[in-house]
Amino acid sequence: MNKLAKRAWFAMVLAGALLLGMAVVIVRYMVSAPDWVTFQSSPHVYSNGVMNSGVITDRSGTVVLNATSGRSYAESESVRKAMLHLLGDREGNITPFLLNEYGAELVGFDRLNGTYSTTDESAVMKLTISADVQKAAYAALDGRKGTVGVYNYKTGEILCAVSSPSFDPDNVPDIAGNPDTYDGAYYSRFLYAKYAPGSVFKVLTAAAALEEIDDISARTFTCTGSIEIAGETLVCNGVHGTVTFEQALAQSCNCAFAEIAGELGANTLTKYARRSGVAEQLHFDGVNTAAGSFDLSKAGKYETAWAAIGQYNDQINPCSYMVFMGAIANGGKAAEPYFVEKITRGNSSKYEASTEMTGRMIEKDTAAALAEMMHYAVENVYGTWNFAGLDACAKSGTAEVGEGKQPNAVFTGFVRNSQYPLAFIVVVENGGSGSAVCTPIISRVLSTCIVAMDSD
Amino acid sequence: MDITQIAGEVAAFFQSDGVAIATTFCTILRIVAPLLALLILWRCARPLLTFQPEPETWAWLVMPDGNQLPITHWESIIGRSKGSDIVVDFPTVSRAHAVLTRYDDGSWSLSDIGARGAVSVNGEQIAVAAIEYGDVVSLGGVEMKLVPVTQEEVEEQTYSRTSPKHQSSPGLTLLLLTIFQVLAACQLWMQVAPEYAQTVLVSFLSLIALQWVLLLTLRLLHRSGYEVETLAFFLCTIGFSVIASDSPGSLYKQLFTLIAGIFVYLIISFSMRNLSRAKKFRYVAAVCGLGLLAVNLAFGKEIYGAKNWIMIGSMSFQPSELVKLCFIYVGASTLDRVVTKRNLITFIIYSAAICGCLALMNDFGAALIFFVTFLVIAFLRSGSFATVSLACAATGLAGVMAVRFSPHVLSRFSTWGHAWEYALSGGYQQTRAMMCIASGGLLGLGAGKGWLKHVAASDTDLVFAFVGEEWGLIIALAMVAAIVILAFFVVRSSKAGRSSFYTIAACAAVAVLLMQTILNVFGTMDLLPLTGVTFPFVSNGGSSMICSWGLIAFIKAADTRQNASFAVKAARVEEAPLYE
Repeated sequence: MNKLAKRAWFAMVLAGALLLGMAVVIVRYMVSAPDWVTFQSSPHVYSNGVMNSGVITDRSGTVVLNATSGRSYAESESVRKAMLHLLGDREGNITPFLLNEYGAELVGFDRLNGTYSTTDESAVMKLTISADVQKAAYAALDGRKGTVGVYNYKTGEILCAVSSPSFDPDNVPDIAGNPDTYDGAYYSRFLYAKYAPGSVFKVLTAAAALEEIDDISARTFTCTGSIEIAGETLVCNGVHGTVTFEQALAQSCNCAFAEIAGELGANTLTKYARRSGVAEQLHFDGVNTAAGSFDLSKAGKYETAWAAIGQYNDQINPCSYMVFMGAIANGGKAAEPYFVEKITRGNSSKYEASTEMTGRMIEKDTAAALAEMMHYAVENVYGTWNFAGLDACAKSGTAEVGEGKQPNAVFTGFVRNSQYPLAFIVVVENGGSGSAVCTPIISRVLSTCIVAMDSD
Repeated sequence: MDITQIAGEVAAFFQSDGVAIATTFCTILRIVAPLLALLILWRCARPLLTFQPEPETWAWLVMPDGNQLPITHWESIIGRSKGSDIVVDFPTVSRAHAVLTRYDDGSWSLSDIGARGAVSVNGEQIAVAAIEYGDVVSLGGVEMKLVPVTQEEVEEQTYSRTSPKHQSSPGLTLLLLTIFQVLAACQLWMQVAPEYAQTVLVSFLSLIALQWVLLLTLRLLHRSGYEVETLAFFLCTIGFSVIASDSPGSLYKQLFTLIAGIFVYLIISFSMRNLSRAKKFRYVAAVCGLGLLAVNLAFGKEIYGAKNWIMIGSMSFQPSELVKLCFIYVGASTLDRVVTKRNLITFIIYSAAICGCLALMNDFGAALIFFVTFLVIAFLRSGSFATVSLACAATGLAGVMAVRFSPHVLSRFSTWGHAWEYALSGGYQQTRAMMCIASGGLLGLGAGKGWLKHVAASDTDLVFAFVGEEWGLIIALAMVAAIVILAFFVVRSSKAGRSSFYTIAACAAVAVLLMQTILNVFGTMDLLPLTGVTFPFVSNGGSSMICSWGLIAFIKAADTRQNASFAVKAARVEEAPLYE
């Protein structure tokens, strides 16, 4: 019988298997339950194929989407259009990434209570976005394709993330029939587009020069309108004569920066591009932004020079570059951007955003010097009156995008005033000259931002 | 107004004007119910898992040096090896030399189990022989003598061995369960369609009455171990609430089969009290088992792809469930046979026949349960991993063939592990189950308030998720824990087992319970293909209920704690062969 008592433990192999399986079940529940509960057609959450998630408001409390049953968008048509890429459409062509990412919180799910709720109140998701700023930015783009992004580099709140063209989700136009008008209407250019940066990239080259070349600030460069590099001619946007480093950035002198690129070399430029993270993806609120690129592995001296002034095969994502601007403004590190401020249901908080900082993108002294240079450009080239009376720093870009096409107008920078710590980027596709096209837009957007922030 | 009307109108009230009260009640219950469930579980688990197996002494064996060794089992191996029950450390004695067997009537026999040295009784060499107290037994020349226990020793032992009622009061635990049941009944009363209000109330009250009547009956028979039964009633309660939520019309059927199940439990318990009777019953069981399956094959009806149902009028039942009980009788064996007949060929053929019949019926879930139970029995009887491995390999091969050639099985394997990718086809049931578990959270949405009832077989195959949704994951896990507790109890108590017949039967019963739980829960959670196996006591199904209670009887037959089980006779000094 002793033998048998020992052999009886064999039955415990089954009990062990059962316990092991239950451990797997518990782990899976803890990890995946939010995904299970928000899966398409989950019975307690979906009705008629739509998730009954909640209400989304902008930072001022204006309802921009009511998704408690079905979807009803904002009352104002212009807000509907300006907000569309953040909220998604009814047909599923534009992913409602915020609803997806925070689905579990919106439906009131938590691991202890499941979806049990004694209140009929629906969840409210408050965004950092200002519907007024979105509206202003969308109007300022005036039907041109492009994007405007503004965010608070101290907290990470994104106030503006407009993408054009957009459309009214309550009155969907014939998108397939008008491919030119609605080119890329289904995606957010702010989050997912990649652009040749053009001269705004000179900020990064300048950062490298400030750290790597002694006395760069005291140097002068001579621009004759073009420069010979490795037997090829790189043309400048004008004939600048003798310019200081500061003037070279303000006037966006290609010759000066081509010379600097030659001194820095491909490896150093690549090192700075990598450290600054301008080509990296950002991950927040369920978004994975498009990755930019800065690849000099096949570049000769001539191509390196072009790359240093934001052409060649350089690509940036507007959101990422805006964060880089934030880092310059904030002494080398910026807050990571986000859209969702908080989610509440009745009196209980289901989610609250917190500010996370990026890693060091740029040295502190370098950032301060760059900011001064960009401010110099505002004072001497772009005009301080274009920035709503704010202490702004900026850089324009006019990025060539191919034969016979107008260049893309790019404009990016930041505000140094402590009560409006905003970094911004504007891209107008085939818009023409960067500063001329973009300064009216950013002027309008920044003044709306001030109103929005003052009324917080 | 009659009672039906009143019950219905109360239910209607809570679903209209009184909905706020119902909501408040539910909000409180979803906190109280898991706590109560865990308390009940803990009160049952503690005595079952912490008791110290106390040996019973049936006789003494006097050694040549005058030492008296206690004989603590009905079947004891005498030998030189340390694993023997009675260790006789002489070089002339074999490692396992002989088996000393006690019978129900208090008589003894000795069997030679193929030892090197001879076995003789009173100088006469024997293979098997009855022995009397005082006979001189010689193993390999070592002489020893069997001496009876005295009346005083038995009384002393009865007095000193711990009775379950001293570990924790079974009445108090059952009272807690009753509170749980009353709360569950109230909750369902508020949620159920008014025309079924009375059905729900009557079913729950009957359930409460049944468990108390059984407790009192057993107490009258001086049996105080009630943890195993309480766990079974706890699972039945959950099962009743699932059915009340899913299809209250079949509550009375479930109640009826519960009563039938308790009768089967009592009958099997009674049969196990007397070992020679139980052994005789094996042959009847063997014939019944195969007969039932043969009838099933001939007259079976196909439901959900498996031809494992028999319809008698409007009643349907699954013979394979009852065959499980027969199979355990057939598989159990006494120690003398276990050690002498290492050859399991008859049992293997019998098992293969059963599994073959089930495969013909396309009932692969049941076939798997029988196979695993076979493995457990085979290992207990042979102690040989080689035998078990060989059986696994052969069956694995057969399984691969079955999967390759049977489209019905293949379709289930194709979605296995990928339920979310086939959420609208092969993985529909599993994905709904997991969605509903997540919706229920740890505390549940409240009995009667689930959605999973709209999915096919949710009250049987997906019952784990059903409970998770309505009662919360904690109680769903508590159901699984209840089964695991039973398993641990059986294995622990095997140390003080009287006969290997009981130990093997109890282990086999536990294997069936565990395997059913594994297939049911893992199928629901997409850890295994969904095989349509019931969760013991909980799933809606009469045959399964009856079988589960039968299995409980086998477990109780191995519960040798003092005065714990009706299936175990109390030790006493038998007057002689005349007394029965």
